[in-house]
Amino acid sequence: MEYLIHIAVLACIYGILGISLNLVMGETGLISVTHAAFYGLGAYAVAFLLVGFGINFFLATLAGMILASGVAFAIGVVFLRLKEVYYVLGTVGSNVILFSVLLNWNSVTRGPLGIGGIPRPEIFGFRFSENEAFLLLVLAAVAITYAISVLITRSSFGRVLNAIREDEDVVSVFGYSVYHYKLVIFTIGAAFAALAGAFLASYLTYISPFSFTVVESIFILSIVVLGGLGSGRGALIAAGILVITPEALRFVGFTPDIAAQMRQVLYGLILILLMLYRPQGLLGRFRI
Amino acid sequence: MKTLLSTRRLVKRFGGVHAVDHVDLSLEGGKITALIGPNGSGKTTLINVVTGMLAIDGGDIVIDSVRLQRIRPSDVASYGITRTFQNLRLIQQMSVLDNILLVLTERNIWGALFEQHTKFHLATAEEILKKVGLWEKRNENAESLSYGQRKLLEIARAVSMEARIYFFDEPFAGLFPEMVRIVSGIIRELRASGAAVVLVEHDMLLVRELADYCYVLDSGKVIAEGTPEHVLKQQNVVEAYLGK
Amino acid sequence: MDIAAQLILNAIIAGAIYSLLALGFNLLYSTARFFDLGYGAMSVAGAYVAYTFYNLLDLSVPIAVLAGVLAAGTLGFVVEKLVYRPLRARKATHTVLLIASLGVLIVIQAVISIIFSSQFKILSKDVNLEPVFNVFGGAITQTQVIILVAALLIMVALALTLKYTLFGKAVNAIADDEEVARVVGVNSERVIGVVFFVGSAIGGAAGIATAFDSGIYPTIGLPLLLNGVIAFIVGGVGNVYGAVLGAFALAITENAAAWFLPGEWKFAIAFLVLIIFLIFRPQGILPK
Repeated sequence: MEYLIHIAVLACIYGILGISLNLVMGETGLISVTHAAFYGLGAYAVAFLLVGFGINFFLATLAGMILASGVAFAIGVVFLRLKEVYYVLGTVGSNVILFSVLLNWNSVTRGPLGIGGIPRPEIFGFRFSENEAFLLLVLAAVAITYAISVLITRSSFGRVLNAIREDEDVVSVFGYSVYHYKLVIFTIGAAFAALAGAFLASYLTYISPFSFTVVESIFILSIVVLGGLGSGRGALIAAGILVITPEALRFVGFTPDIAAQMRQVLYGLILILLMLYRPQGLLGRFRI
Repeated sequence: MKTLLSTRRLVKRFGGVHAVDHVDLSLEGGKITALIGPNGSGKTTLINVVTGMLAIDGGDIVIDSVRLQRIRPSDVASYGITRTFQNLRLIQQMSVLDNILLVLTERNIWGALFEQHTKFHLATAEEILKKVGLWEKRNENAESLSYGQRKLLEIARAVSMEARIYFFDEPFAGLFPEMVRIVSGIIRELRASGAAVVLVEHDMLLVRELADYCYVLDSGKVIAEGTPEHVLKQQNVVEAYLGK
Repeated sequence: MDIAAQLILNAIIAGAIYSLLALGFNLLYSTARFFDLGYGAMSVAGAYVAYTFYNLLDLSVPIAVLAGVLAAGTLGFVVEKLVYRPLRARKATHTVLLIASLGVLIVIQAVISIIFSSQFKILSKDVNLEPVFNVFGGAITQTQVIILVAALLIMVALALTLKYTLFGKAVNAIADDEEVARVVGVNSERVIGVVFFVGSAIGGAAGIATAFDSGIYPTIGLPLLLNGVIAFIVGGVGNVYGAVLGAFALAITENAAAWFLPGEWKFAIAFLVLIIFLIFRPQGILPK
């Protein structure tokens, strides 16, 4: 039972990541390989503020989201004007650089040692130390994220994003400032990635930079691709699948090392097979 | 009638080739102006330049007495200009209705997030879609329509902009006769409302029927201008089309 | 020891390796027209096959290198046939191909990890017994000299092939315009198959060189690939001479920066260079 709750919490965290990246990549067509960086910024903000200053989890999470938004805004300003391929590479570069910062800025992030002893969230005297309670909290976060995602995608704003995805020059000629729309959604996506990071930090009580590399960004990207572009629900289901399935591998009897690699083989095969036979993913509204 | 838009010695170069070669154009409100000329004469390029999709290499564009040497695509709508595309650029993976709503709804980000006028926009969309006969198909994706229907949608989208200057790039090509009548009707209505309508067209009968004024392009240059009767009789125009 | 001379020597070695990476990538990109992330995996695969032959089976260096290069080329050829060709046949977008190639990269690296473990491995045996030459105050090992010579030979061979052979002309024709090339009678499918073999083989050579020079680990594919891509873009997309120029420019910048910053920032610096070019000169140093 404990184990199931653990899986559920992770699935929720990745669900939030999937929904947020879907807003950027699925709805708007901005292939972003730097989502893990914002995930990491949220995690580190919470770790830093909770461990260093005893600040309340919810306030620290907000701070983390604002931080990630700010960084995303800066990255967006630089890269969102570029041609697609160059934009994608720019995001990869941003992830690499942010990872290096997390890894090397020892005075703040404690570098490769990571930050431990992160307490669980507390509100009005109640601490979410039990995993069951934490699960409820993170489920609430998923619900809020999903609700906001639906609000965005069902609005006129969402319609514009979908149009930008397909033909941004036309959208521009009909009176929209495409660049600003992209900037806004990129920033919003980053904020929710930070939210997921905050929960990760508090759940695991320990974080290190190595959870926030380009490889992790690629994993989050796989969630969106599997779930299907333009579907928050798809992202949630895909997050569940991609978190649960490798755990099932554990029971097949591989050693932990090999199991981790088999998980990678699985992800890679899923991507290849999806592209070959079902590029729109599970519930995708758009073809890639 | 007022001149809504004019170009003065407009130039667009691709490498050493002048796709638009010192073109002087004048578009008056309440008139339908035809742009004719053989394939490759620069008609679509001219439209692309005037609507900001290609940079101006020389000369300028005058809109409402304001001289412009640079137009960005996102400014075009605010100048009251809109267009259709020869190769149809609809949002294929979006519904017919959404394609229209896209150009009706709030442009600014906050307004778009919290759209206040949905009912009003829906009513406007219904009106225009019914006019082109696409209201029943409003929830189908644009890509599932026939060519003619997509063309009508493209035109409907432009009309929804309630612009002052319309550029229609070959709006009649590939349309059945009933659709041609619908589109002609729409274009006449636009003229009646005081807008300047520009038609790129190959069908000379339609040009004679609809156009008040004609510009003939060949190799990027205006080789003739005037009323359709006047222009279509000229030797150099006939030669441009048929070769010497 | 003269630090400046040493840095220059290091830059030359790195530049040579990056050149190979960039050239191989250039071959693939100019014909198949998509970012093949799997290319990174070919480099790693070649290196590990060489490792198997040299360190595990105790065969001579030339045989090991040959085996590695051939293995990399064959792997590239097979992947193109099984994954990319079917996708390109149904006119898949470059995004689909990108994601499929991502899957290829992930799977191959994971399989290598399973077979060889994730440990860092260096191919050179008896490192301390190697002859070391003194050049203007800097030290260069025999291995590095061999790498330099080999890289030079490969570059010259490639340049000559592209310029004078029928195959080379076919490649240039396809790079220019595949449709037209086919109309003129070029069997683009077969040529691209060979291109993938050759390009991946070159990538494999680069991987083997890295393995001998500084060592490898299974997930080095992505960093290697990214270095090649950065060199490719910085030098000038699609320009063969540009690829080499970009490679050396990158290597020099990285090594010059190594003077001021700790080594962990190397990758971040590479991306900083890329970002600067993407913003200010996206066409690279030598435009096509």
